[in-house]
Amino acid sequence: MPRRSCDFGNKLVFREGFPIVTYVQRAVWLLVACGVALIVLAALPVDAQTAAQATKDPAYRAFPVFGSRLAVWAVAQLHLNFAAFILGVPIFAVIIEAMGWRTGEARYDWLSHELVKLTFAAFSTTALLGALLLFLFVAYYPKFWAYMTSIFFPTYWVYALLFFAETFTVYLWYYGWNWLSGPRKWIHVGLGVLSNLFGTAILVVANSWVTFMMSPAGIDDSGALKGGVWDAMYNFTWMPINIHRLIANIVFGGTICAAYAAFRFLGARTAEERARYDWMGYIGNFIALAAFIVLPFAGYYLGREIYAFNQTMGITMMGGFMSWLWIIQAILIGVLFLGSNYYLWLGMERIPGSERYRKYVPPMLIILTVGFMIWATPRSMVVTLDEARAMGGTHHPLLGFFGVMSAKNTVVNLMILTTFLSFVLYRRANKIARKPWAKTGMVIQWAAFGAAAGVVVFYGVYGYFVESIVRIGFSVYQVLAVLAAIVLVMAIDIPMFKGARTTGQIRWGTIAPHSQYVLILLAVTFTWLMGLMGFARSGIRQHWHVYGVMRDTSVDAATPALGYAANVITLVTLAFFMLVLFIFWLGGLGERGAEAHGHAAPVIAGGRDAER
Amino acid sequence: MRIPVVVKVGAFAVLVMAAYSGFANSIPQIESKPPQELSLEGGNVTPAQLVKAGEEIFKTKGTCEICHRIGQKGTRAPDLAGIGARAAKTKPGMSAKAYILESLLQPGAYIVEGYPNIMPAVDKPPIALNRSEVWAIAAFLESLGGTVDVTLNDIPASVGAGGAAAAAEIKIPGDPKAGEAVFQGKGTCIACHKAGKIGASPVGPDLSQIARIQTPDYIMKKILDPKGAGAVANYPPGVMPQDFGTRLTSKEYVDLVAFLLTLK
Repeated sequence: MPRRSCDFGNKLVFREGFPIVTYVQRAVWLLVACGVALIVLAALPVDAQTAAQATKDPAYRAFPVFGSRLAVWAVAQLHLNFAAFILGVPIFAVIIEAMGWRTGEARYDWLSHELVKLTFAAFSTTALLGALLLFLFVAYYPKFWAYMTSIFFPTYWVYALLFFAETFTVYLWYYGWNWLSGPRKWIHVGLGVLSNLFGTAILVVANSWVTFMMSPAGIDDSGALKGGVWDAMYNFTWMPINIHRLIANIVFGGTICAAYAAFRFLGARTAEERARYDWMGYIGNFIALAAFIVLPFAGYYLGREIYAFNQTMGITMMGGFMSWLWIIQAILIGVLFLGSNYYLWLGMERIPGSERYRKYVPPMLIILTVGFMIWATPRSMVVTLDEARAMGGTHHPLLGFFGVMSAKNTVVNLMILTTFLSFVLYRRANKIARKPWAKTGMVIQWAAFGAAAGVVVFYGVYGYFVESIVRIGFSVYQVLAVLAAIVLVMAIDIPMFKGARTTGQIRWGTIAPHSQYVLILLAVTFTWLMGLMGFARSGIRQHWHVYGVMRDTSVDAATPALGYAANVITLVTLAFFMLVLFIFWLGGLGERGAEAHGHAAPVIAGGRDAER
Repeated sequence: MRIPVVVKVGAFAVLVMAAYSGFANSIPQIESKPPQELSLEGGNVTPAQLVKAGEEIFKTKGTCEICHRIGQKGTRAPDLAGIGARAAKTKPGMSAKAYILESLLQPGAYIVEGYPNIMPAVDKPPIALNRSEVWAIAAFLESLGGTVDVTLNDIPASVGAGGAAAAAEIKIPGDPKAGEAVFQGKGTCIACHKAGKIGASPVGPDLSQIARIQTPDYIMKKILDPKGAGAVANYPPGVMPQDFGTRLTSKEYVDLVAFLLTLK
């Protein structure tokens, strides 16, 4: 009897005589059961809040069992996770496809198709969660939603039209892969670009609603629109959030794709398959890392605009009840930096010629570890009364010195520089430059690293001697120095290693298996970090639906403590990964036994060698 | 036995998230609670009670402590130790009381040298102190080295309760005339409260200007949940009946609120 298999991936072999249809049926029934349960739950008579009962137009209704806030929180976070994935992945998928088109390398086209396949599978889930979120707002926060509609009604139409446009374009992009190949490939790539433009426009429109809640603009004292809807959209935090989310979506998409590849790598049965997914994992991590390096700068911009909008909000965010949140964030980002670098160092082991760069690993590890520790140092220590008296306050005499923004800004910039150095070394691991000016080029590159580090340290130290308002401005110089170094080093590196002599081919698939757990760690950590940052963005409004305009007078008006928030984030992240697993598995069902759409998986160099 | 990859990866992911959650639960747990409205109008409040109420607002709803310290130099805002005495000398010709009120309501009018112009007006959102609260906090600041002489009449009538936005966002469809009848009749409010020309009982606070000093949200909540909305200073808690939510019909309730909102 033939063995049945399904493609999540091709290698998951099911028990003999256990038709896959049974699994599909079970899954469908499970989905139906969940849907029915949800409808029944929502249709249960709700215990409207006391104040709301007396009026025909309640401001709030109470979601059964969990409460309205938790219901909205969970669905919003899930929706945003999926939305970030389906908006982030196509950005680099189209770039990879264009690379394949221009270079003629089939592996890039395969990878791009593989990435879009993952996006495609998650597309409808995103839309369903979005609709569910809308129902929750309309049903449980009617007054709030009525107010938002009074401001943003024209944008709803734009949003809906963009959604249609994106859906049709993505469908055409995915299903037209073969149809629009060969001489018509440029049309296909154009479709990819177009779907990204529509996707980004959707993001920008939705961000205007969220940012208006944080930093309302364009309204009078009564909360009504003064001019057009554009005035409300173009508020203080809109553009920074647009930029921050766009970059974060790319990082997120990269980490999820890398985790998917890691999962496939760990379950692979042939060296060829391991090589293919090793390569895919590397590309996913590379994309995530490249975008991740610039993410803190977008964060600074957002923070600056929050302060510019309202000092109280900024101070509450950084120094008020949320101050400990940034310690958790520092730990998560520290894990991301260390993990990304560790993966690159492990990856160098499969590159002949990389041995000459091993000596750089210990100092880089020291910089990253010390930077991580300083960044995660709290300003105020939690101490007993006796300890506080002994220390002379809640600020530790030494640790308090590292707990301030001067120290934190300095180390995060040094960590970014170090991570960039790791990438540069990885990039040239099996190459030897043959250009006559290579020596000079390298000297300039090291000088650029040194100068940037010098500027960062100088302003970090100088920051201790100036007022906070001056110190905030120093972070701009530090960021600019690091960015300038990155641009200069790459501007030299690319031509310098063009036509370089190779010391050997990368042995894809031979990377240590535990490296794949690093990729999974990065995906889990970044997803969790997204949940935490969502809590921060939403939480700084405190007891306001729309900051300073519309109070939250519901029973859930209090902003929960970090422990509670972390538990919710963990549960939702867990739900997200389970859904992703299920969706990817469903998406893979259509491929079993055959290569989808004629996209034969390419043989990646190193895979077959490893078997010999 | 070979453990399936999905189990190994799943367990690893759960472990990582549990570690993050565990850490987040091990650090100080601070919940940000929405501020309570304070009403001192119509009550006989002593200076000591006023200062105490002001100190509480300073630390909580006013969010003053985010930037200001008392007896410690701050980087964002001046030390407020001795401000009650110092305020009289800061601006020539301006009393301590006037300076303190100006600093609270128009913080940008005078900037202490060396500090940025970042203070928000305390009667505007998001802080949005009401008239009673501004009165209390001014008294507290005066008490820091000075004499408490601020009265409710010193607080401009324009100092709103939650700002115009809060008032404007609720449009009560009720009939004030019918609400007046409820006040005097079925609601039995008149037994304890005075409302303009109606009633004279001193049992509960005088409501003659309640719409000017309190938000519609507060008024609505106070009727339905008097205990939850907090007691007015100098009036014993627990006297107001808790059963208006079931005793009045929806229409009567809305009419009553509409009537109270006419009391300015």
